[in-house]
Order: sequence, then structure tokens, then C-alpha cells
Amino acid sequence: MALDAFTPSRRGTLGVELELQLVAPTDFDLVPASPDMLALLVRRPFPGTVTPEITQSMIEIATGIHESHATLAAELIQMRDALVAAGDRLNVGVCGGGTHPFQHWTERRIFEKPRFERVSALYGYLTRQFTVFGQHVHLGCADGDEALFLLHALNRYVPHFIALAASSPFVQGTDTLFDSSRLNAISAFPLSGRAPFLMSWNEFETRYFDRMAHTGIVASMKDFYWDIRPKPEYGTIELRVCDTPLTVERAAAIAAYLQALCAHLLEREAPDPVEDDYLVYTHNRFQACRFGLEGVLVNPRTYERVTIRDDILATLDRVRPNAAALGSLGALDELRMIALAGNDAAELRRARAERGAIENVVATALQRFRESSPIT
Amino acid sequence: MTFSTELIAEIAWPLALLVAWLAGEMAFRWLNLPRIAVYAMTGFALAPTQLGFLPAGTSGPALLLANIAFGLILFEAGYRINLRWLRANPWIAVTSVVEAGLSFAVVYIVASVAGLASTAALLLAALAMATSPATILRVVNEQRSAGQVTERLLHLSVLNCVLSVLAFKIVVGLAVFHTSGSLLHAVRGSAFVLAASAMAGAVAGIALSALLRHLEPAQRDNTLAFAITVITIVALTHVLQLSPVVAALTFGLATRHRRSFFGRSQRGFGALGDILAVLLFVFVAATLDWRHVVAGLGTGLAVIGVRQLAKIASVGAFSYVSGISLRKGLLVGLGTAPVSAFVVLMLEQTRHLGVHLVDDLAPLAALALLLEILGPVIVRRTLVAAREVARAPEA
Repeated sequence: MALDAFTPSRRGTLGVELELQLVAPTDFDLVPASPDMLALLVRRPFPGTVTPEITQSMIEIATGIHESHATLAAELIQMRDALVAAGDRLNVGVCGGGTHPFQHWTERRIFEKPRFERVSALYGYLTRQFTVFGQHVHLGCADGDEALFLLHALNRYVPHFIALAASSPFVQGTDTLFDSSRLNAISAFPLSGRAPFLMSWNEFETRYFDRMAHTGIVASMKDFYWDIRPKPEYGTIELRVCDTPLTVERAAAIAAYLQALCAHLLEREAPDPVEDDYLVYTHNRFQACRFGLEGVLVNPRTYERVTIRDDILATLDRVRPNAAALGSLGALDELRMIALAGNDAAELRRARAERGAIENVVATALQRFRESSPIT
Repeated sequence: MTFSTELIAEIAWPLALLVAWLAGEMAFRWLNLPRIAVYAMTGFALAPTQLGFLPAGTSGPALLLANIAFGLILFEAGYRINLRWLRANPWIAVTSVVEAGLSFAVVYIVASVAGLASTAALLLAALAMATSPATILRVVNEQRSAGQVTERLLHLSVLNCVLSVLAFKIVVGLAVFHTSGSLLHAVRGSAFVLAASAMAGAVAGIALSALLRHLEPAQRDNTLAFAITVITIVALTHVLQLSPVVAALTFGLATRHRRSFFGRSQRGFGALGDILAVLLFVFVAATLDWRHVVAGLGTGLAVIGVRQLAKIASVGAFSYVSGISLRKGLLVGLGTAPVSAFVVLMLEQTRHLGVHLVDDLAPLAALALLLEILGPVIVRRTLVAAREVARAPEA
């Protein structure tokens, strides 16, 4: 199958997908409620779209295309309210978080849909272990070359997004010591990791995709589980490293950060990305997953070490003019607060420490998801 | 021969449990029958009035153990009730009241037409309101089912049990004891029993949760603490002539809402719960006399029919407004069939008060036996039809 032509998009437009957990309010375990939830949700027009995911205890929502943080956040809040209301009618809790803190993957049930059943048959236990919940942010690009430029220019900022969104410290009842353990589950898939270093769309298509397709390993871009991947049919790049945050407001703020950062990168003040930037990529990515904001990055050009927190704070300052132009200074302030006060993973650990039983971690996540945090 | 008769009497119950367990496993593997349906058949066959393998006279350790088994199941059922859901979706409670009320009405009419005395008809109608949480919960746990049909079956069974206990106590107070002849008086008496039982359960739940938190805040497995408390509550309410059903339910409810956790791995109280379940379902069927079953078969079948129709129609009618499809609503109505463990233990408790209702209520024996065997099969079929049973085969 040939790669789709790159459909040009309006530069810098945003779209967000969130994978959310469905839990039973009784024991706080995951519950295969997506068929009942979807059956109820189709009764009314839903803001954005809602679709089943591979396991029945997961539901995915996607926003429309947005120019600004404000409208994106507003739509996400509407969707959140619709989901929470539907969940209340069906005794189903909806929440964020990159992993469920104590679910057992053997219990998971695969949604009946041919693609999911095929994937499940191929990957076996990985599919069920893949019961992890991520936020994907789409950013519109004018053309394929721009998409690849941004994809590679973003490589040194990937740890920022991991650390800011990290919300998966617990797996199967224990503290993994990772802020984002979810990304470890994704790394098990053969086509995960990063995109090959090719800067022109034409080269990407002929020198990489067509040859991969020829091997028979892949049929479409959907088969790649890269941290950032181009999505030619939408005309976007898709950032896939974020855990689903505990609130939709935070999800919107993270998207706004990507928007402002890309606007900054497109000013092309920094030197162009080179392949050697990736020498430190997996190290930095690990630091972000393991230590979150406390992680220590190695700068790909200067080899200087700096904590992710400081690097985020410095970058937030650098992109302020872009955010001002885009009307998203409020989102940046929210992220600054996260960088200083701690991410969702820290909050979940605090809940565990203060409230004892692991079930209370889920109770905290449920509470955080339904209540509106003030948007600045 | 006295020696061997005594010996048999001594080991009759353990042997009966062994036979029931074996039969249950074989039928589950080869005939794909729910285990508890087979326990019931075994119990009925071995009953004093049938093969006579089990000793006559039900009061004693077996009754106490059956009550404890039922108490453990009710605790778990209560634990799975979410009061916040009932507030957020009031149609669940409306469904329950209509469904139980209509069941009462139609069963009373059928029983009266069939020639039962008005007291007997009222008692039968009151008991027919209930759905036994025992069968529902055992099948749900056995099949690991989850979804709206499962969730609603559990909630409806708990709600209509409470309504049934209320109605039953009113009828007993009013018609059997002729306490004062006044309905108000009977209602007040019945409400008092319910309130006192609920209070006992709630106090136990709150106190135990506080204690557990104090002892070991992060303790994962509270099974032992819950089991011992259930046993105590059942024995206590039994002695005080309160309702063990309501007390065990509220204990579960209070425990859940005080955030003491009863995790999925503890479901059904493990091996303890399993062995007591064998005993419960054998015991319940063993109280039934084939002569009553035969005598009451016609009316019993009619009662089963109209009761089921009433439940299916009521739940179906409110399915859309309560947030599920008509199909799932009808399935929930169908799944409310089981009644036996609840009915028999209620009656045994009344026998303890000196009233022999089972003997006067032949149709009830037929109803209890048929639904004890068919109930689990119906519930399982319902859950499978609703696609709420995990497809992965049980290891």
C-alpha cells in the first residue's frame, strides 16, 4: 500500500486525542464498559468524537481542529462533562492517568472489531499489557517537509512532554519508580521508537516508507508506534509520548505548549536538526520517564547537563512571545506551575502515601477528572 | 444397626457436600451447567423427604451455616451497591419499586385465583418480590461478567430483597400474628425491624472500617475481618429476631462507603465462600418436600410465569430512560428470576418463630425448587446473551 499524499493543513492548528480509563466505582478496577457507554453516548450529539479502543475498559475521545488553546480547552471540557454524565447514569467512573494502578492484564477483554482482534492475535499478551492510556496531540503542518522538520526539531523537547504529562507511576499494584511507566509498555512493540532521520517528504516516502511496505511488515502509518509520527492524511505530526493527564485542562495546556514551541521552531533561529541529535535521545527519554521533572538531560549539541525542570522553565520563557501571539499565555503559566509544583505522577504518589490503599489512587484520579480545575 | 445409623447421620452432611461438589464440577465441565444448579439438584435428591440420606430436622448447625453462607453473599452484594448511582440515576430505584410492586400484585392475584387463603397468597406475593442475590452473585463471579445487565441485576436484587423483607414482615405481623389488626401498627413494627437491622449492619461497617484503618492502613486483604464480622452479625440478628438479610447487606454497603476495600481477588470469600455456597444450595433444596412440590406445581408454575412477565415488563419499560437499550432492559428483567435461597431462609426464620409456612405453601415449594435449579441457568444465559461474559475460556 502506498503512503497517502501529505494533505496540507493550516500551520499550527491543534487536535487532541485522549485515551481514558473506565473503572467500576465499586472496587476501582477497570471495567469493560465501553459498549454500554458508547450505546448511551450515541443518543445525543457528542462534542468531538468518541470511539472504542482495543480493550473494552478504554474509551478514546478526539477533538475537532482548533486554532487556539481556548477553544480546544472548551471543547475538551464539554466532552469531559458529557462522559462524566454518561458514566454517572451507568455506574461507570471515567478518569485519566497513563496506567491503571492495579489492573491485571489477564482480565482485560478485547473490543470486538476486526482490526483489534487481528492485532490481539498478533501481539498476544502485549495487547492486554498495552492497557495504557495516552494523550496524542496533532499539530497541523503546511507540507510534508515542514512536518519532518518539526518532527526532528522536536526531538530534544520530547522529554518535556513526557515529564509534564507523566501520570503512570503504578502498575499492577506497585510503584514502578517511573513517573511514566506507560512508555515502557509501548517500547515492547517492534515498530516503536523514533522516525528515521529523513528531512524531506519525498525521501521519507521513497527511501523509507515504500521500502518498508515492500518488506510486508507495514501497510500504513498506523503500524508505526513512534514517539512522533507524521499523519499525512490529516496533514499533521502526532506527538504520542504523553500519558493521559488527570484533567482535560492539563491536556489542553500541553497541546498549547506544543503549538507555541513549534511556532518558535519554525522561526528557525536554532540550527537545523542533525542525525547525531539522536545520540542522546534514548538517554534523555529514559530520564524523563524514570525521574520526571527531576530527570537530567544531556544537551545534544553542547553535552551540558540540565534538569528537565530547568530546561522546561527556560523553554517556557523562550516561547512566551509565540504563546502571546497565539493567545495561550495562560496555558504556559499552568505548565510553569506543574514544573515547579510537580506533575500528576507526584500527585498520585501523594494520594497513595496519604490515603493508604492503592484503590484510593484511582479514587483520586476519578475526583480530579470530574472537577473543573480553574483555567487561567 | 443403631450404631451405623448414627454414624451415617454424623457424616451425612459432609458426604452430601462432597457428592454435590463432585457432581457440580462434572456437570460444569461436561454439561456446561452452572455449579449451583447441580448443588440444588443434589440437595433435593438427598433430602430427608426424598432419598432420606440427610437427617430430618433442619434447625441446627446446617441452618446456621446456611445463614452464614447467605450472610457472606449478602455482604458482598451490599458491598457492590453504589448509593451514589441510585442518586445520580433515580430510574434504577423507580424500576425496582415498580418491578417489585407489580410482582407482588400479579402473584397475589394468581395465588388468590388458585384458591390460596388470603394470608398465604399475601406471603407468597411478598416473597415473590425478591430476587435472590445468592444466585446472581455466584453466577456473576463464576462467569466474571461485567456490564450494565450484571450491574443492574445486582442492584435490583438487593433493592427488591429489602422491599420483600419489608413486605413480608408487614404481612407476618398483620395477618399471621394479628398483632393489633392495624396496618399502621404492622408497618411500624416491620419498619422498626428493618431500621434496627440496618443500624446493626451500618454500625458494624463503620466501626470495622475505622478499626482496620487504625490497625493496618494499607492492608490489602480484609477477608478474614469481614467474614468474622458477618458471622457475628448473622448470629446476633438471628437471636434478636432482626433481619440478618438487611443487616448483612447494610454491613457490606457501609464497608464500601467507608472505603475499606474488598478486592476482586477476594470475591466470593475464596475457598471459604465456595464451601459455604455448596452447603447453602444443598441445604435450601433439601428443605423442600417432593409432595409439596408436586401438589403446588400448577400454581407454582403460574406464579413463576406471571412474576417473570411482571419483572421483564417493568424493567423493560424503564430501560430507555435509565440509559440502556430495550434489549438489555428485557435481559435484566429475565435475569431477576432466582428467588430460592432468599425465600427458604426467610421461611426457616419464620419457622423459628413458630409458624410453619412452608408446609402451608405448597406452590412456594414448587417455585423454590424450580427456580433454584433453573435460576442459575437463566442468569447465565442472560449474561451471555448480553455479551457481558468474558470470552476467554476459564483456565
